[in-house]
Amino acid sequence: MSEASHQGQKSITSGKLGRSAQLVGTGAQVGMNYLKHYGKKSIRGEADLDDLHKENAEVVYKTFSELKGGPLKMAQMLSIDQNLLPGPYAQEFSQAQYSAPPLSYPLVVRTFKREFGRSPSELFDEFATEASSGASIGQVHLARKGDHDYAVKVQYPGVATSLKSDLAVVKPIALQIMGVKESDVSQYFQEVEERLFEETDYELELERSQDLSQSCQHIHNLRFPRYYPELSSKRVLTMDWIDGTTLDKFADSDASQEDRDRVGQALWDFYDYQIHELRLFHADPHPGNFLVQGQELWAIDFGCTKQLGDDFYYKNFRFLDPSLTQNQEELEKALNALNVLLPNDTDEERRSLMELIIPTLEVLAKPFRYERFDFGEPGFMDAIYEQGEANRSHPTLKKMSGQRGSRHSVYVNRAYFGLYGLLARLGSRINIVTPGWLTESMSPAPVSS
Amino acid sequence: MELKELILEHYSYQLRENAKAPESVPQFCREMEISEREFYQNFASFDVVEKSYWRSIIKGVIEAIESGDEFAKFSAQQRLLTFYYAFNEAILDHRSNMLTRFKDLDLWKRPVWLKGFEEEYRSFIKRIIEHGRESGEVAGRGKVSDVYPDGFYLMFRSIIDFNLKDDSEQYERTDAYIEKSVKLAFDVVRTQALDSAIDLARFLVPDMKWKSPFSEKASCS
Repeated sequence: MSEASHQGQKSITSGKLGRSAQLVGTGAQVGMNYLKHYGKKSIRGEADLDDLHKENAEVVYKTFSELKGGPLKMAQMLSIDQNLLPGPYAQEFSQAQYSAPPLSYPLVVRTFKREFGRSPSELFDEFATEASSGASIGQVHLARKGDHDYAVKVQYPGVATSLKSDLAVVKPIALQIMGVKESDVSQYFQEVEERLFEETDYELELERSQDLSQSCQHIHNLRFPRYYPELSSKRVLTMDWIDGTTLDKFADSDASQEDRDRVGQALWDFYDYQIHELRLFHADPHPGNFLVQGQELWAIDFGCTKQLGDDFYYKNFRFLDPSLTQNQEELEKALNALNVLLPNDTDEERRSLMELIIPTLEVLAKPFRYERFDFGEPGFMDAIYEQGEANRSHPTLKKMSGQRGSRHSVYVNRAYFGLYGLLARLGSRINIVTPGWLTESMSPAPVSS
Repeated sequence: MELKELILEHYSYQLRENAKAPESVPQFCREMEISEREFYQNFASFDVVEKSYWRSIIKGVIEAIESGDEFAKFSAQQRLLTFYYAFNEAILDHRSNMLTRFKDLDLWKRPVWLKGFEEEYRSFIKRIIEHGRESGEVAGRGKVSDVYPDGFYLMFRSIIDFNLKDDSEQYERTDAYIEKSVKLAFDVVRTQALDSAIDLARFLVPDMKWKSPFSEKASCS
């Protein structure tokens, strides 16, 4: 049982006004921390920017997790894209999965009666009255029928209806943290909103879970729980209970290098197949969504999935071609196609962007330059973080306006950042296969030392 | 069905159709095809019918949940939550009548027609508090904890009020309101926060006498 479930239930702060008030408080506190930061700076002539971010991250995180629902999901989304959020925020938010407080058992009963016309105790032989873990928009209960164990995910009431007003309220704060103008990123917010709404629909999740686990069942060392449509509804999702270690705990354990490689490879193959073959992928590579049992990896949560159209797919993954960064003209063409460069950019803006884009592409595509890549390589993730920080704080980039890039890249980036982060934590050595349509234009890849 | 129940049912039908209580007993009896004697043998007046109608709703809910197989295992807090959720489910059948009677009724008002309803709730909440004392969920301290039933009743009325104003899908916001307010109430009675607040108030105003807002005479609506 998680620590969170001992804290008793807290419900979603209701009413837009109440939530706004809570967030205004947060804004004020963040402002105070900035003041303290600049105070320190003027007294000592130096202050740690990281300290500031850390203090702010704790305040923002606390508020977001009290609000649960939309803000918490958004925090998680932001936390995984290192390009959008300073490091300390990312760390604070990545714990979010484990901290949401549970809803009361009578409310679980009420939800069941509404959805199935029967209570949990009538549908199962045993049903744990306390949640075994909380998720941002629901919680998981252990249930038993005969000698079979089930994991039953129950959604918080009102999540779907309050999501929209939550996001409207949380947006200004998110923008402040990211330091960008709303007009420049509105398409990203729209994308996130759409995905979040999908997540509140357990019927859709059931369908996607069954589809994806069916299409990915050939992947070595990768397993999926069975799903039970007759015990699922809009607000309740029932699957097999899997006894396993969450991926982060496995990464921190004394697991052997072989096991790390095996589990990491399953994770890589899973994403590779989804993104490059199915073009429909699990877009939430949070360590809590994966369990390790023996030497097998279990994927247990398909709440957030993203579909890619051919047009975006080819434009986006064109950048995996290493020869592209050597050919200025072709690179600009590819960037134009993806709207990263805009037709009315000045030469100066274009030059500054290219200065950032080339190293960014090189560091992000690095694993694809090898047949076997060691994600445990020290400095690899640091280079990604550093590049992210450089991109975020670049003076020209900050001043530039216009909607750049594609909304579809939010979840592709999220998936890859998440995947890289998990593999780095695992210290896995991964066999990399570049998508077939790209290899024709590429030279043979070396093996990493 | 007994005649008593049939009368209650027809009364609730009339209230729903006309958004006001029937006025003529003879007409009421004619519609039901019963004699006045049969009516008055069961109820002394329409006021008594009205009172019984509201009492019967809450009584039905309490009996249903208390006979549920899991109820005995529940904590006081879970029992109260179960009651509120069951009550809100049950009154879906009576929502029009609830709106007619409760919509503009001030939270502090205690009209005569609501007396039986309140009595049923109070005897239920006393059992909950009793159970809470045994399980350590409710701290008791002499006279001050006598106001607990008043407080809980007020909370119940505020839940009804919230529910009648709620226009969210399946009244989900009411569910969230229930979770929240029951949590708050039990935080208060568990920690003796209320007792301490009253203690402080008494200290600051030496001649202040604690007076329950409910200790005044019941007023008619």
